[in-house]
Parts: sequence; C-alpha cells; structure tokens
Amino acid sequence: MMTARNRIFEIRNLAHSYNGRPVLLVDDLAFERGSITGLTGPNGSGKSTLLKLLGFALKPSQGEILFNGRVQVPYSRAVRSKVTLLTQEPYLLKRTVFDNIAYGLKIRNRSADLASHIREALDLVGLDFKEFSQRRWHELSGGEAQRVALAARLVLKPEVLLLDEPTASVDVKSAKLIRNASLQAKNTWGTTLIIASHDWHWLSEISDRQLHIFKGQVVSAGMENIIPGPWAPSDLPGLVERSLGNGAAIKAVPPPTPGMTALINIDHIHFKTCDTHDDSVDENHLTGMVTRLILERKTGDILITLSIHDIQLTFKFPSNTISNLELFPGKTITLCFSARHIEWI
Amino acid sequence: MDFLLSGFIKAIELLISGDSYTWSAVAATLKVSSISMLLSLGAGLPCGFILGYFNFRGKRALRTVLDTLLALPTVFIGLLVYAFISSKGPMGSFNLLFTLTGIAVGQTILAFPIVAAITASIIENIDPGLKLTLISLGAGKRNTILTCLWEVRYGILAAAVTAYGRVLTEVGISMMVGGNIKWHTRTMTTAIALETGKGMFSNGIALGLILILIAFTVNLSLSFLRKK
Ligand SMILES: Nc1ncnc2c1ncn2[C@@H]1O[C@H](COP(=O)(O)OP(=O)(O)OP(=O)(O)O)[C@@H](O)[C@H]1O
Ligand SMILES: [Mg+2]
Repeated sequence: MMTARNRIFEIRNLAHSYNGRPVLLVDDLAFERGSITGLTGPNGSGKSTLLKLLGFALKPSQGEILFNGRVQVPYSRAVRSKVTLLTQEPYLLKRTVFDNIAYGLKIRNRSADLASHIREALDLVGLDFKEFSQRRWHELSGGEAQRVALAARLVLKPEVLLLDEPTASVDVKSAKLIRNASLQAKNTWGTTLIIASHDWHWLSEISDRQLHIFKGQVVSAGMENIIPGPWAPSDLPGLVERSLGNGAAIKAVPPPTPGMTALINIDHIHFKTCDTHDDSVDENHLTGMVTRLILERKTGDILITLSIHDIQLTFKFPSNTISNLELFPGKTITLCFSARHIEWI
Repeated sequence: MDFLLSGFIKAIELLISGDSYTWSAVAATLKVSSISMLLSLGAGLPCGFILGYFNFRGKRALRTVLDTLLALPTVFIGLLVYAFISSKGPMGSFNLLFTLTGIAVGQTILAFPIVAAITASIIENIDPGLKLTLISLGAGKRNTILTCLWEVRYGILAAAVTAYGRVLTEVGISMMVGGNIKWHTRTMTTAIALETGKGMFSNGIALGLILILIAFTVNLSLSFLRKK
C-alpha cells in the first residue's frame, strides 16, 4: 500500500494545454518511491508531456505536482538536483562526451574526482572511457549518443529518473545496455524510474505498475484494452456495436455521449472454455488468433494478446492453469466479455 | 587589359615598399571598423538576445523594424549622421564631422541591426531540446542562459563576421561623414573610389588586395575556431 510518506510524486488536478489545446488531464495520481512505472500509450497521447511535467521541465497550465510532499515548480532547488529526464530525442551539448557528462556535476559544484565518476557512468552504459570520453558530440552514432545522454543522467545518481522512449531508436544491443543501466540505477541508489516505452515486453517484465495514457487521460492503473470505433446502433435493443467484418461485431452499452472511446479492462475478459454457456444477448464471444504471450513476472500471470479482425485484445491467465490449454501464437481461440463491462471515456 | 596587369604589379610593389599613403588608409579603416564593431556588438548582442529569448508585447513589431533597418542604404545613414553632427545639427557641438569617430558612429548604426537581428533569430531557433536538457540536468535560470549562449557561439561569431564584412566594405558613410581627407579620414574604400576616379589603378588594386586579405584572415580564423 502506498502511504503518504513513500509517495515521491503526487499529481493533483493537473491539466496541460499547448496554445489552448488541452492534451493532458490527470486528476489524481501518485508514484511510489523506488518503484518502476511503465507508461504506454499511442503516439500523441501525452506520455512525453507527462514526463516533462514530472521532470519539472514544463510548467503545467493548471494544477500542481508535489515532490516529496511539497508543491514544486520548474527551477526550484528541491527538484533540480534530484529529478532528471532523458528526453525522447536526446540532445548533446556541443562539446566532448566527457564535458557532456561532466556538465551536471559541474553546475552542482561536484568537480572532485570528475574523471572517475565519468568513467563509472560510461561503464554503466557500456561505453569505453578511453575510446569515447574525448569524442565530440557529432562523432557518435545515434545509439551511442543515446547512451551518452543516459550516462549524463546516471552520473548524477538521481532520486528520480524519467526515461522517454529510451530504446526506441537503438539496436538490440544498445537497448539491452540501456535497460540494464536503468535497472542498475534502481538497484544501487533506489532510484524511482518512470519509463515511457512501446517495448511491452520490457515494461511488463520490470515495472511494478503500468499506466496507459490515452488521449491525455491515464486510463488505468491496471491494463485496459481500447476498442477504437466506429460504433453503430445494433439490431439488439439498447446496444451499440463495432463491426468486425464478416458479420461479427462487438456489442456494448451505448456511451453517455457519442464519440467517446470504449475501454474493456483485461480482468473482465475471460477465456471461453467448452463448458461456458452464457448466451445472454449482451455477452460478447470473439474468436481470434493468439499473437503474443507474455509472462508478467511480478504476478506470474500470462498476458495473452488476441488479434480479432483489426482489433487487438489482451487478457490475463494464471500461468499454472495455462499449460493444459496448449496455447501458442497462431492458435485460434475464443474469449468472452459482457457488453456491460465496456466503459466509456 | 594591360593597365590591370601593370596596376597589379605596381600594387605589390607599393605594399612591399610600405608606401605610407597606402598604409595610412589601411590604418584608418582598421581603427574605425574596430570601434564600430565593438560598439555594435556591445549593443547588438544583448538586444538580439532579449528579442530572441523573451516573449513580450511588441516583440514582433520590433523585429520588423530591425529587419527593415537591415536594408538601410549606407548613403542614407551617411546623410542622417551628417545632418546630426554637422555644425547646424543637434550634435554639432561635439565636432564629429569629418572625423574617424563620426564614421564609427555611422558604421555602428549600419552594423547594429545586423548583429541584433541575426543574434535574435539564432537565439529564437535554439533547439527546444537544449533548454529541456539543461533543465533536466539541473541547470538554474542563469546557467541555462549562459549555456544556451555558449551553444550558439559559432552562429553569433558568424553574425559578427557578417557585420564586419559590411563595415569593412562600405563607402557611403566614410565618404559623406568622413569627407575622404588624405592622411586623416581617408579609408581604404574611399581611397579606392578616389584613385579609380583619377585613373590610378595600382593604388586602388593595392588597397583592394589588402581588403580581400583582411576578409580572408577573419574568415580563416573563424573556420579555425569552429574546428577546435
Ligand atoms: N510543444 C508543443 N506545442 C504544441 N503541441 C504539442 C507540443 N508538444 C506536444 N504537443 C501535442 O501534445 C500532444 C501530446 O504530445 P506528447 O509529445 O506528450 O505525446 P507522446 O505520447 O509522447 O507521443 P509519442 O509517442 O509520439 O512520443 C500531441 O497531440 C502533440 O501534438
Ligand atoms: Mg513522446
């Protein structure tokens, strides 16, 4: 349970707009000290905006963010040396790798033992001190630049490390180094990690909690499936439906106002076995192909993703009961959930 | 074309022999352009920074005025300065007419908008990622500004070189405000204009060569700095 004391961040009634266009709305959200939070969501959903706000690099249009129990704003001393953000497109200063990593230490007047700190940070991200420290900013590959940028954050031994898609544009090897380095920060210094990424595998493996942002709203602290429209009136009374081609459709209770987005929580989706015979009109039975099986280490559950026509749905299954189902990617199975469990945002 | 070739040869002779007339024009140019560059950088860099970094009301209008000033013809600046510092003008008591200081004032007016406008647009076009990175590395407001300036140092240096090129090569202000007085306010460009008018090509070519040499040296040192 998250107590007031171990909340490192608390967001209250936050709303952010760019040029009057609202892009992020978070009423109430807290982050636990020393935890790892995964942040997923489609392009433009507001992940980077949330990270910039948490990094106090951007002032929210409305609302407040508490750090260690106090409201903080950009440039305030209490956050400057403690929270650091690795931006989506890392920017290196026009100087050597050494000076890039030294920058944060120098402005904190921590110039003692500079070289050994920098060597350590470069080690963490798998770059050789001798080979790289004197290179200039433009003498690096994209993946190397990304790792130098990460090293410049790690050298600060931050309390909070915010990572914005750190592995999005690097190869498998760099990605692995980056993943290990960020995990090491948590294990060595107890750094709180908040990571926006499209790397599902990674996030489900390491994070204590996953948040999904959709159209600027944090839709779940668990996991939600988004069912994109269009929704049309159904032949069945009191329901709407989303066509899946060849006659099949997802049924739902109508939204309070048209144009809203449908969500189904993964806990409400069940695997259909032969003995389930709930044929009430508002029960959805959907047959599709298994495209992904992921082990959620923290709980031991298996996350199964099913592809049905143009829609992907994910649901959970305890790993100890899954062995007798002979699940494998490519297998066709049927799942069911009630039209009443669809929520609208 | 013979006169060009012989002019060229004579020019080399003049330069090597240290012809005092030629060198006095060089000295006048270097003196006056140094003063005007110091003044225009001193005023133009801060103004450009403020225009580029901060958002305030009337900023757009100021930028438009500045951009218009970029196109001021030198003869017009010459006319303006002349009117102000001639004995009947509001600043007549300073006795600046037909002095190097007078020319420097005119050249400052010429160079200021160049420095300010280019600086402003360089600052405005700083990658937003830079500021974000500095904040996320823990820089305070002062450090953010200082590092931003340091990041765009080459751009600002290029602005200074552009302004210097204009100052070095202008004729209108030097001619009108300086009066092209031999040994005194005769700069390289006014000397070239005069010598050419008199048909003395070799003197003109000699001065032209030095002008090119100065421009070359300035640009060379800039590209050297860039590499370092
Ligand atoms: N500086 C800005 N000015 C105006 N609009 C912006 C700015 N930055 C982001 N936006 C808008 O805000 C919304 C959220 O952007 P954000 O960068 O937070 O999304 P994201 O979830 O990080 O997306 P991606 O996965 O593509 O990185 C988008 O609609 C985007 O167009
Ligand atoms: Mg983003």
